[in-house]
Amino acid sequence: MKRIVAILAAIVMLAACSGDDADETTTTGAPSDPTTTAPAETTTTEAEAPDTTEASAEALVLYSGRNESFVEPVIEAFTAETGIEVDARFAGTGELATTILTEGDDTPADVFWAQDPAFIGGIAKEGLLTELPSDITDLVDERFQDANGHWVGITARGRVFVYNTDLVAEDEVPATVWELTEPQWNGRFGVAPTNGSFVAFVTGMLLAEGEDATREWLEGIAANNPVIFEGNGPIVDAVVAGDLDGGLVNHYYLLQRIAELGEVPAANHFFGDGDPGSMVMATGAGILAASDQPDAAAELIRYLLAAESQEHFLSLFEYPLIEGAGTPEGQPALADLPVFDVSLTDTADTLEPALTLISESGLN
Amino acid sequence: MTVVAPPRGTRTERKPSPVRGRAPVALWAMALVAVVPAFAPIAYLVWSVVRAGVTDTGGISAGRLLELFLSTAVLVAAVTITTAVLGTATAWLTTRTDLGGRGLWSTLVTLPLVIPSYVGALAMLGTSGNSGLMTEALRAVGLPGLPVFAGFWAAWGALSLWNFSFVHLLAVPAIRRMDPALEEAARGLGSSRWRTMFTIVLPQLRPALLSGSLLVSLYVLSDFGAVSLLRYETFTRAIYAQFRGRLDVTPALFLSGVLVIVALVLVWAEQRSRGRANLSAAHPTRPPSPVHLRGIPRLTAYGFLSTIVIGALILPLVTLVWWAARGMSLGNTVGSVIPELIRSVSVSGMAAVVTVLAAIPLAILTVRHAGRATRALESITWSAYSLPHLAVGLGFLVLALRFVPALYQTVLLLIIAYVAMFLPQALTSAQIGLRQIGPSIEEASRGLGSGALATLRRITLPLLWPSLLAGGALVFLTVMKELPATLLLRPTGFETLAVRIWSASSELFYTQASVAALVLVAVSAVPLYVLVARDLHD
Amino acid sequence: MSNGYTLAIRARQVSRRFGDVVALDDFNLDIHSGNVITILGPSGSGKTTALRLMAGFDRPDQGSVEIGGVTVADDETFIPPERRRVGMVFQDYALFPHLNVARNVGYGVPKTARRRRVGETLELVGLTGKESRMPHELSGGEQQRVAIARALAPAPSVIMLDEPFSNLDAALRTRVSAEVAEILRTAGTTAVFVTHDQEEALSTSDFVAVMRAGRVVQAARPSDLYHEPVDEWVAGFLGDADFFNGHAVAGKVTTPVGDFPTDLDGSVRVMIRPESVLLSPSDNGGAVVRQRQFFGHDQLVTVVLRNGLQLRARLGPTPNFEAGDAVTVSVERATAFPAN
Repeated sequence: MKRIVAILAAIVMLAACSGDDADETTTTGAPSDPTTTAPAETTTTEAEAPDTTEASAEALVLYSGRNESFVEPVIEAFTAETGIEVDARFAGTGELATTILTEGDDTPADVFWAQDPAFIGGIAKEGLLTELPSDITDLVDERFQDANGHWVGITARGRVFVYNTDLVAEDEVPATVWELTEPQWNGRFGVAPTNGSFVAFVTGMLLAEGEDATREWLEGIAANNPVIFEGNGPIVDAVVAGDLDGGLVNHYYLLQRIAELGEVPAANHFFGDGDPGSMVMATGAGILAASDQPDAAAELIRYLLAAESQEHFLSLFEYPLIEGAGTPEGQPALADLPVFDVSLTDTADTLEPALTLISESGLN
Repeated sequence: MTVVAPPRGTRTERKPSPVRGRAPVALWAMALVAVVPAFAPIAYLVWSVVRAGVTDTGGISAGRLLELFLSTAVLVAAVTITTAVLGTATAWLTTRTDLGGRGLWSTLVTLPLVIPSYVGALAMLGTSGNSGLMTEALRAVGLPGLPVFAGFWAAWGALSLWNFSFVHLLAVPAIRRMDPALEEAARGLGSSRWRTMFTIVLPQLRPALLSGSLLVSLYVLSDFGAVSLLRYETFTRAIYAQFRGRLDVTPALFLSGVLVIVALVLVWAEQRSRGRANLSAAHPTRPPSPVHLRGIPRLTAYGFLSTIVIGALILPLVTLVWWAARGMSLGNTVGSVIPELIRSVSVSGMAAVVTVLAAIPLAILTVRHAGRATRALESITWSAYSLPHLAVGLGFLVLALRFVPALYQTVLLLIIAYVAMFLPQALTSAQIGLRQIGPSIEEASRGLGSGALATLRRITLPLLWPSLLAGGALVFLTVMKELPATLLLRPTGFETLAVRIWSASSELFYTQASVAALVLVAVSAVPLYVLVARDLHD
Repeated sequence: MSNGYTLAIRARQVSRRFGDVVALDDFNLDIHSGNVITILGPSGSGKTTALRLMAGFDRPDQGSVEIGGVTVADDETFIPPERRRVGMVFQDYALFPHLNVARNVGYGVPKTARRRRVGETLELVGLTGKESRMPHELSGGEQQRVAIARALAPAPSVIMLDEPFSNLDAALRTRVSAEVAEILRTAGTTAVFVTHDQEEALSTSDFVAVMRAGRVVQAARPSDLYHEPVDEWVAGFLGDADFFNGHAVAGKVTTPVGDFPTDLDGSVRVMIRPESVLLSPSDNGGAVVRQRQFFGHDQLVTVVLRNGLQLRARLGPTPNFEAGDAVTVSVERATAFPAN
C-alpha cells in the first residue's frame, strides 16, 4: 500500500510540474511569476518583472462575460495574427463587474467584454475604464457605444420572448411584457434575473418608465411564480423540450438551437415598439484604466471589430455592429427591429437602482 | 490495523492519562500557522459585516432573510434525517445481516461519493424532463414521461443520495465495534428486535451518527452547484446570485455573515451533544451472530439496497454516458478535458499533502494535550469547514486583494483556501488514529530514551500513517469535487474539472459536461478506494 | 544494576492533584537498590500516579523525587522520562505494533550494544528464537515477557511494572508472578511493582508499601505487614480477618477464646486471622459450626461462639465439618489495635 501511494504521489508531483508548463496560461503561484499577477506591477510604475513564460510578450488578460465557446475562436485567431497571448476569464458579466470593482487598481484585467451595456456602464461610471482611441469608436454607430467613449459595442442582440409553439397558441403570446404579470402566465414562464441582459433590460425600463412602474412590474413578475434560471440558455432548452412554456431571453439562443437540432417547436417573439421587452442592447468592451498594456488591449478590441470576427459573430446569430457586416439569417435587419428608445450610456445611471429593485422584488 | 492490547473486559479502572502539562511551544506555533488560514476569512467576513453596519444589508429585507432561512433549514433538516436513516440502514444491512454479497453491497453503497452532488444534479436533469433519458425510456414502453426534477424534492433527493455514504462510512466501523453482549442481554430480558435497536444499538452509534450528520448538514448548508442546477433557493444560491447580480460585494458578504452564524451554531450543537465520545480501539472478542433475514424482509432488503445503488450510482452514470455518447455521435466536440484533469489532480494532490501536514501538529495538540485552548483551536478549524465554500472563497478573494495582492488569482492562494476549508477532514482522521495508538506506546518510547521528536518520527508517525493516508485521500477527493471557491479564486485560465463541468453545463455543452463529469468520477474512484479499502475491510 | 547508591529511588513529600481530586498527598517512599518492592493499594489510592511520577511521565505539584541520588523532580528541576533511565512495563504492555520483537526489545539500546543486549534479555525471559515475530503473533504471556525484556534491555537502574499480572487468569497469575520476580532478581535490577492484589504483593516482593488515599500508610516486609499491620484498615486489606471489641489490662487482652499479649491499654479492637483458628470436633465445645466453604485444598468454616461472636477458621480439607456441628475453638494468635 505504501508503495502504491508513493508512486501516486510521484505522479501527482510530476503532473503538477508538467501541468503548469503545458498550460500556456500558467501560474505556479510564486510571487515572481508575472503572468497573471499584474497587481504588483500595476501599483509600481512601469517596472515589468522578467517574463518566465514561453510567450514572447506578457499575455493580455480578458475578463469576458461572453461564453467561452463564443469567444475562444476569436481569441485564438487574434493570437495567431498578432502574436499576443490572451488569458481569458469567463464568468457572468455581473460577477466580473463586481470582481473588477473589488479588485480596484490591482485588477489584472486589461480588457472587459460585457454581455450588456449596463454593467460595463457601471464600471465606466466608477472611472475604471480609459477612453478608447477614436479609430475604434468611429467603427460603430453612436447608438451602440458609450457617449463618453469608455466602451464600444461589439455585437448587438434583441430581447425576445421565446415560447413553445405546441404549448402556446399564437394569440396567447404576450403582446407586452406587462402581460407576463397576469394570471394566465402564472408559473408558465422563465426569467434569469442575475443575467446581464435581464438587468440591462430593467435599467432600460427604469429610464423609460420610472421607478414606480418598474417596481410594479418586477413585483408582479415575482408574484406570478416564474421559474428562475441562472442563464438564458437553460430557459431556451427548457422551452424547446416542452418543460417550460416561454421565457424572456436574447434572440440568438433559439437560432443556435435550431442550427444544431433542426426544426424545433419553438419561436422567438419580438415585443412591439416602445415596449421595454424589445430593447436592443450592445455587448460592450472597454480597456481597464489600470491596465499596463493599453495598446495591446486596444489591438484586441480592434480585432473584435474586424471583419473576420464580426462575421464569426454573425454566424452565431448575433448582430454585428460594423458597417455592412450583414444580418443574421432569417432575422429582421438591425434597423428594422422594434424600437425602444433609451440611451445605452444612460443605463449606467440606473444600474444600481435596477439591481436594488430586482433584489427587493424577491427575484434575486 | 490491530492494536496490540490485552483481551477486553480485563482492563482495570486506570484513570485516563493525566494532562501532560504545557505542550511544547513549537507545537503550538505549528498549529497556529495551520489554523490562521482557517481563521482569516471568518474574521474578515465578520469584520466587514460589522464595518458596513449591521443595517446595511444591501437591499435584502428581513422577510427575504426569513424566507431563505426557512428554505435552507428545511432542506438541511430533511437531508440530514434522510441520510442518517439511509446510511444507518445500509450500514446495518451490510454488516449485521446474512444478506448475500454484503461486502460488495457495502462497497457499492460507498461509491456514490465519487459523484459530486452537482454532477448528480446534472444527471438528474438529464434523466428527467421531456428530453431526459428516463422520459425517453418510459415513453418507449408507453408510459408517461417524467417532469423536470427541480425544486425542493429534487434538491432533497440529490443531496441525500450523494451524501448518505458519509454516514454509511462512519456507521460501519461503529457497528463493528459494538459489543454484542449488550444486545444479547437486552434480548434476554425480553426486548424485541426493534426495541433493542432503538434503546441499545442506536445510542451506541450516537457519536458516529452525530459526526456523520454534522458532516452532511454542513455540506448541505454549503452546497452551491446542486441547488443552483435544481433551482432551489437556499442561502448559498442567494449569496452567489447576489455576487453575480449586483455591483457590490456587500449583500453577498452580509448573507455570508448570517450563514457563518448558522453554521457555527450547528457545530456548537454537535459538540455539546457528542459529549465524551469513547473511541475504543478494541474489537469485540466475539463476532455477533448475524441477523437472519428470510422471505419478504430479505427481498425488501435487497430491493432497498438495489434502489439506492441504481439511483445514486447506476442511473446517473448511465445518463452521463448516454449524453456523452449521443453528443459525440451528433458530432459535438468534447473540447478541453485533459488539461483540466491534470490541473485537478495536481492541485488536489498538493492540497491533500499540505492539509495532512498541517493536521499533524493540531492532532497531537488536541489529543495528547487536550484543554480549553486546544478545543477553541479545534472549533476554529471546524468553523472554516462549516462555512459555505463560496463565502470562504469570497473572503479569501477580498483578503488577498486588500493585503497580499501578489497572492491574488494564484494557485498558492487556492491551495491555502482548500487547506482552510478541509483541514477538519484530515484532522479527524489523524485524531482517531492518534487515539487508537494510545499514549502508553509513546510513553514507552520516551521511557526507553527517545525524546519527543524521535518518538514522533519512529513510533507515532509510522503508526499514524494509515489514518493520515485516509485523511489525505478524503481531502483529495473533496478538493477534486470542489466548485464555488475554485470558481472565485482560480487564476485566469486555470480550469479544473469541476469548473469545466460547471461552465460546460451553463453553456449547455452537455457533451463536454458529461465527458468531464465521467472523467472526474473515474479519477475520484482512486482516493475513494484508498478510503474504503481501509475502513470497510478492516 | 546498582550504581553504588543504596537508595534507588527516594520520594519525599510528593503531592499531586488533578483538579479537585487529590491523587497523592505527602507521599514518601524509600526504595533500596536490588530490592523488589510492591506498591499495594486499592483503586484510587494513587499508586499508579506515584509510579508515573517516579518514571517522569508526570510532574509533582510539591515534593521531590531522587533516582540514584540524583534529583529528577522538585520545585526547580524536572528531568524528562527519556533521561531518567527508568524502565517501564505498562499494564497493556504497549508493544510497538509495527516493530518485531527484536526491534521492540532493542529500541532503547544504543546501536553498538543492541544485538548483544537483545540476545541477552530475550534469553533472560525465555524468548530466544522469537526475534522476528510481530507482537500480534504472540500470546499474552509472551507479549508481557517481551515488554519486560524491552524495559530491561537498556540496563536501567530501576524497572517499574504497572499491574503486570491483572490481565492474566488467576491460575496463571501465581506462576507467572513468581517467574517474573525470579527474572528480575537474576537481572539484579531494582523492581517496583504496582498492584491491588495483595496476594501477588506479598508473594513476590521483598518489601511492600501499602497506599491509601494518596499516601503510604505502612511499608514493611510481607510477613511483618501481615502479622503486624499498623491499623485495622491495613490489616483488613491484606487478608481475611475478623474483628471484635475487647479490653486490655496489664499487658494482655482477654477474649472469649483466650488471653493474648499486647502493649495497649484500655479499649481495643482485636483481630484474628482465620488461619490462626483451630477447630476440633467436640460434643461440649464452646462453638457451633454455622457455615462451611470447601475449596478443595482448604476450607473456610464459620463458627459461632456461645456469646454470639462469629469467627472464621481456615483449615485443611478435612475433617468434613457441617453446619450444626459442635466444635472447640482455639486461637494461636491475635493482634490488638487501638479502638477509635
